[in-house]
Formats: sequence, structure tokens, C-alpha cells
Amino acid sequence: MTRPSEVKPREGDLPGTTWDEFEVGAELPPFDFTITPDIVKEYSDAIDSDIDQFRLDGRQVAVPSVLSVYLMAVLYRKYPPTQGGIMASNKFRYYGPIPADEETTVTASGKVIEKFEKRGRRYIRYSARFEQAEAGVLIAEAENVSTFPN
Amino acid sequence: MQKDYFITQDKIDRYGRINGDNDIIHYDAEYARSRGFKAPIAHGLMVQGYASALGAEKYGPDWFTRGVMEVKFVGPMFPDETVSIKIDDHGKLEVKSGDRMCIVGTAHLRDE
Repeated sequence: MTRPSEVKPREGDLPGTTWDEFEVGAELPPFDFTITPDIVKEYSDAIDSDIDQFRLDGRQVAVPSVLSVYLMAVLYRKYPPTQGGIMASNKFRYYGPIPADEETTVTASGKVIEKFEKRGRRYIRYSARFEQAEAGVLIAEAENVSTFPN
Repeated sequence: MQKDYFITQDKIDRYGRINGDNDIIHYDAEYARSRGFKAPIAHGLMVQGYASALGAEKYGPDWFTRGVMEVKFVGPMFPDETVSIKIDDHGKLEVKSGDRMCIVGTAHLRDE
């Protein structure tokens, strides 16, 4: 089991990255985490969802957004977060289910796409890719835009 | 399809535990006020999770292999408010707290 806190630097633990330090085009290095039935259950509870609700081909599967608790780790492992970050937008594309009744080890990676300023705020756009760790089968792609106060 | 959720600080804290964050804008009322918010703000990803579950209800098994969700967070969501998640027949997604729009976007299936 990999709790997100095990792979994601937490705000305030390290000096936060300033906007100037983000590099457009920078690769966000791959890392692995394991989603277990316990993680699926805790996530389902956290979004007021019934873990028994969703099935695919007769099998119990997780709400695919369970990956979202690992999303910021893709960015923060290279660029530790500052306090006060605010999310502006997200895109998720789901390609493969995450079983709710067994472990799934996922490899996540990404890339910084863009930096921009709008209405006095500074934004970072980055992409994330989630694959089954050994098979390399794509599970989901994501794109996030966040703004940070420094 | 529409579903309502009542947000509490306990729910924000619970999401923060699984999310593994320590962003005080979700937990520290004084800090949140210093940033111009009336109270700590809910995680956008928590509410997006509500919407993802609603997408699974709406689209069924296809959601897990062809689901696409795009959202913009256009307004904060606070504790002790009810948010209404709505996905219409065209895949338009809206999240409102009362009359205040909080999230706009789409939840649909990708063509293959």
C-alpha cells in the first residue's frame, strides 16, 4: 500500500518552489505507487461513494478518480509545493479500470507544459500519465493547472 | 443527473488525510481569510471526485475505459455548504453552491 503522503512532498516540509523555478518542458520523473483495497475504500469514503457500487465485467472497480490523490505528487516530487496553492483546472481521461479488490502498482510520470500569468496570478500547467507498472498499459492521462502564491 | 453533497470541515479533513496534503488553505481559517476567502476552501479534487462517481453512475462501465472529465474551478467551495453536482444529457458538468457557480466543465465518453 502506498499512501499519497509517502510519495508526495507535503506543503511546508521543504522550501516551496517559486514560479520562476518551474521549467517549461521539464520531465517529471516516473515513480511507482500501489493502490490497495484499503486505499480504494478510504478514497471512496472520502468522496461519499459506495465502494460496492461500481463493477466492470463482473468485477468490483474503484472510482477512477482515486488516481487524483496521487496527481500532485507527479509535480511536487520534482518541484516541492509552497503553501497556498490553488487548483484552477483539471482534465482526466480514463483508459483502464483499477480493481477495488486487489493491488495495482502504478507508474506515474509527467511533463511541465506551460507557465502563464492571468489577472495577476501565475499558473503552471503540467501533464501526468498513469500506467500499470509492469505491463505498461495506460490507465489514465491527466492535465492540471494550478496557481501558487509565490 | 444530479446529486447534492453537504460539505463539512470534517469531510475536508478526511479528504486531506487520503490526499496526503498539508495545504493550510484547506484547514486554517485565518490563513484562508488572508487569501480572500471567508473560510477554508474544500479541495477541488474532492468535489471532482463526487463528479467522477456521478459520471460512473451516468455512463456505467464505459466510464472506466472511455471516461473524460474536464473541469475549471471558477469559485470556492466552503464547509457547511451544499454543492449540487449536475451532468446533463450532453455531458455538460456544473457544480453550484446555491446560485454560485463553483465548477464548470464536461463529463463524457471518448469516441473510439
